[in-house]
Amino acid sequence: MKDMKINNRKRPVFFNKYAEKKDGVIRSYDIKSPSVRAWAIIITLICFFMAIVSLFPALWLFLASFKDIKEFTREVSIIPKEFDWERMAATWKAFKFTKFYTNSLIHVLGAMVCAVLFNGLLAYGFAILKPRGYGIPLALVLWSMMIPGTAGIVALFRNINNVGLNHSFVPLWFAYGANAFYVILFKQFFEELPGELLEAARLDGCGIFRIFTDIVLPLSRPIIMVVAIFAITGAWSDFLLPYLVLNGTDKTTVMVKLFSFKDTPTDAVSVLRASFFAIIPPTIIFALFQKQITDSAATGAVKG
Amino acid sequence: MKKKLLSILLLSTMTLAAVTACGNSEAPESTQLEESSEPAPAADKAEDAGDEKTQEEAAPTSDSAEKEVTITLGIWPEDTLTDDIAVHEGYVETMKELHPGVTVVPAYYKYSTDTFMPMVESGNCPTIFESWFTEPQKLINAGAIADITDELAARGWLDAMNPSIRELLSDENGRVYGIPRDGYALGLMLNMELFEEAGLVDDEGYPIVPKTWDELAETAKKIKDATGSAGLCLLAKDAAGGWHFSNIAWAFGATLCTENADGTFTADLNSPEAVKAMEFVKSLKWDYDVLTADPLSEDWGTGFTQLGTGGAAMYIGANDAVAQPTQVNGLPVDKLAMCAIPAADGGQFSLYGGTPYMFSKDATPEEINAALDYLEIMGKAPVATEASIAGMKADAENKVANGVPVIQRFPCWVNQDVLDAEAAIVEEYGNVDPKLYETYFAAASSEGLHLEEPGSTQDMYAELTKVLQTVLTDKDSDVQALMDQADANYQKILDDTFGAAN
Amino acid sequence: MDFTISRHKDIDTSPKTAMRSKSRFRRKDVFGWLLILPSLILFTFYIWEPLLENIRLSFCSAKLYTVTGFAGLDNYKAVIGDVDFMAAFRNTFSYTFWSLVIGFLVPIIMAVLISETVHGKSLFRVGVYFPNIMPTLATIWVWSYFFMPGDTGVLNILLGKLGIAPSQWLNNAHFTIPLIIITMTWKSAGSTALIYMANISGISPDLYEAATIDGASIWQRVAHITVPSIFSIARTMLILQVISVFQIMYEPMIFKNGGPGNASISLMMLMYRYLTRDYNVPKAAALSVLVSIFLVVLSIVYMSLTRDKEDKR
Repeated sequence: MKDMKINNRKRPVFFNKYAEKKDGVIRSYDIKSPSVRAWAIIITLICFFMAIVSLFPALWLFLASFKDIKEFTREVSIIPKEFDWERMAATWKAFKFTKFYTNSLIHVLGAMVCAVLFNGLLAYGFAILKPRGYGIPLALVLWSMMIPGTAGIVALFRNINNVGLNHSFVPLWFAYGANAFYVILFKQFFEELPGELLEAARLDGCGIFRIFTDIVLPLSRPIIMVVAIFAITGAWSDFLLPYLVLNGTDKTTVMVKLFSFKDTPTDAVSVLRASFFAIIPPTIIFALFQKQITDSAATGAVKG
Repeated sequence: MKKKLLSILLLSTMTLAAVTACGNSEAPESTQLEESSEPAPAADKAEDAGDEKTQEEAAPTSDSAEKEVTITLGIWPEDTLTDDIAVHEGYVETMKELHPGVTVVPAYYKYSTDTFMPMVESGNCPTIFESWFTEPQKLINAGAIADITDELAARGWLDAMNPSIRELLSDENGRVYGIPRDGYALGLMLNMELFEEAGLVDDEGYPIVPKTWDELAETAKKIKDATGSAGLCLLAKDAAGGWHFSNIAWAFGATLCTENADGTFTADLNSPEAVKAMEFVKSLKWDYDVLTADPLSEDWGTGFTQLGTGGAAMYIGANDAVAQPTQVNGLPVDKLAMCAIPAADGGQFSLYGGTPYMFSKDATPEEINAALDYLEIMGKAPVATEASIAGMKADAENKVANGVPVIQRFPCWVNQDVLDAEAAIVEEYGNVDPKLYETYFAAASSEGLHLEEPGSTQDMYAELTKVLQTVLTDKDSDVQALMDQADANYQKILDDTFGAAN
Repeated sequence: MDFTISRHKDIDTSPKTAMRSKSRFRRKDVFGWLLILPSLILFTFYIWEPLLENIRLSFCSAKLYTVTGFAGLDNYKAVIGDVDFMAAFRNTFSYTFWSLVIGFLVPIIMAVLISETVHGKSLFRVGVYFPNIMPTLATIWVWSYFFMPGDTGVLNILLGKLGIAPSQWLNNAHFTIPLIIITMTWKSAGSTALIYMANISGISPDLYEAATIDGASIWQRVAHITVPSIFSIARTMLILQVISVFQIMYEPMIFKNGGPGNASISLMMLMYRYLTRDYNVPKAAALSVLVSIFLVVLSIVYMSLTRDKEDKR
């Protein structure tokens, strides 16, 4: 202990914090060596570089959105000549983005609810209730992950049409209720719930419902959060099924609009501004919940 | 059995959910039905972006009363084009007077290959819609559109149709599935601002236009050197690239495909002439360097954006698309000029065809007739009635107001009274100097008019586009080898489709 | 995933099942089934039934969606004989290969590096994760301007500042696929890295300390402690990645429409073309069935190969 303190005093400020380092290969006792110190600095710089590379495209998108078409196609520059919010507003209005935002919001919220509810119920059945013969649907669910999502899109669209739900948000919401990945996340979480707790409640005479509402649900907040976040980002980015289902209605979402640029004559700057508008809401949500989101990304790992 | 049970359960669950969860969002749509008997005010339309939401109501009304017919118009303008919508509202007024039993429902539909099939499948195809030059044969083969031969025959329109255009819209038995909105012949569109900036104008200010492809390369070079903008916008993103290339290939003397007596086809994409044409295109990139930054990102639409916004000075386009560079992309109306497609050793050719109107396969004869009536009022039919001339005038006025050149149409109908009426309209509303279009129209009425190649043209264009993409990105590409490969591929497709020649 | 499948086999021997009393058995089963039924209906509706329908369609001839007859293997023959099939097939493997070279290793390296930082660690975590929340389409549009050839392309502007001549980027057919993989890695590496980081931070410091006492250098510790500890999760990530990259479709479609030439066309993109360009539903169905079969077979092989190792552990 004494040694540590002496060492601390000798270290430049940059390395002081390494004493508290709890994980990773480089341990506090390694940092004495000059070569390790050099590596520590290099690694930090590389990480800085990675963060910049990760953030730069979004930053560029923001900057480029302020250019007009001639500036964009002819000038060799990154920074726009002027930050004219009027232009942005004009594109916003021309594309009716308020409408698209509203539609996307409706889409996203419904999808989130369905994702949590249906996948959660299914996983609860698989992990806790285990009705006889549940192995078959479980295997089917797991194998669904290997089937290309776009493969059955035609047949799926027919199904939606046959039940009369074309041109509606409903089939898009329910689509998130059938996601093998979310089921697995839930299932793994439920399986790790303390079995004794559930058993004790059962012995106390609690019904399956009571067990679910009083014990499972409160304990499940983290996983619900994880799936909700995945569903929100997923639904916000989703476009193929919404494109087919919502085509020809006033329910067009932001991504459907972006996808339709693929074959609509649109100038580059409008595409950029629309892309910029499309990343604002996820960015805000990310900024607000960054800790939960990055944590959930890690816990959200399929463990095997 | 279990599956059936599941689907029944599913159906009930989802319907229940639909009723409870979606009741509110569906409600406004049903009110549209009553409104739709009168034209919706333009402001309303623009505000709720309700382009096509009224399609669904078409079916129930059509069988409610015998004489009542409801048609959905996919040809309604996009909701941002308020002036165009106003013109159509005028047409609807006339429609109400002349055909009081017809209810017109606006249902703007921009044809897109991703959405068309699902839309037809879901029974939401508008009664009448506009498509592209490439689509008719595909849609006919897929059984996705209505056979309108009888309706046209009854009106006497069949014989009024330009025979070659009629062929493009017919199946092998001569049944007709569409009518032309416009005839078109490819020409070269010029951005006059760039020509002026490069000093490529004569004493009177008219552009000095290239007459041969070599001249075009030189002209393009001068423009690139003087202005920094591309001389020519060449397409290489999708099939439109191959489509334009076929016109270039003809000028070099190529014939890309021939139909044999036994109904089989022989591809000829690797003839010396076709290879020479492709070598020429390659030189535009690697010797002259006069193309836009990335031809592989250019398609029909971006080409007009490049031309209209000054990104490129020349672009292959047709008379029916003059609204694209001007109204859509902001080029002043007097800064657009057109000339004939340049010639080469093989002569001068202009690919011609027709942009089609087509009809939903679910449309009844009454609905088709009502839609044809509407076209008559728009002035897009082979009749010169008072109403149709009024329609032409309204359209021309709107073009003038929006800075779109009012120029001659390319004759898709051959009856003289319509041609005269159209000429009179151009005379009256013409807002551009005809000399800017002189050589274009001279070529468009010459021997050089050339129909699309026979065979499976879409596949041919796709093969040619692949070659274009390679030669425009790889300086060392072997044109002969690429064209040999394209030829072999296309011949295989032809053999698979039509049988192999003996 | 392979893990989970193998795991559920021993469920019947789990204590909970054994504890159930017989009288409760049936009521509980009925209740359990009722509870999961809505979700199963959704799976049927959205995934299983369309899949079966797709298989059926692949053996039929059809006009638009309407089946007109039985076609046997004709659609499959047509797909395999298609002039673009071989290119799409090769490219799809090329995508998979490059995604293993670039996409698989980058997140691991990122995770190891970020784990070693103490300054700005949370910034790095948040920073590298950020691309993951950007919608796919926006990402593709942005990168297509980055890769624009000519001197106004963003990357060419940046190169120009370093005095390097502009590049053709995606238009150079040799680089199209690796560059597309790089954009996909850019988007997904951060989130994958966080998963690895969670595993790395779970490694007991005692292991490192013991290794240090044994005289292991830092590199040896990485090789013998860090890498093995993420081996299991990496194995899962690998197959998940192969499955998803094998289905690549939008990126080549929007970036270069499969070009230049056929340099970036993928199998699923070809399927989308059959569907939307040719309106040939059965042919599209046949191709997607082929892709599915391949992925299922691949997964089974992968699982049986990796299961051996798992048993040894």
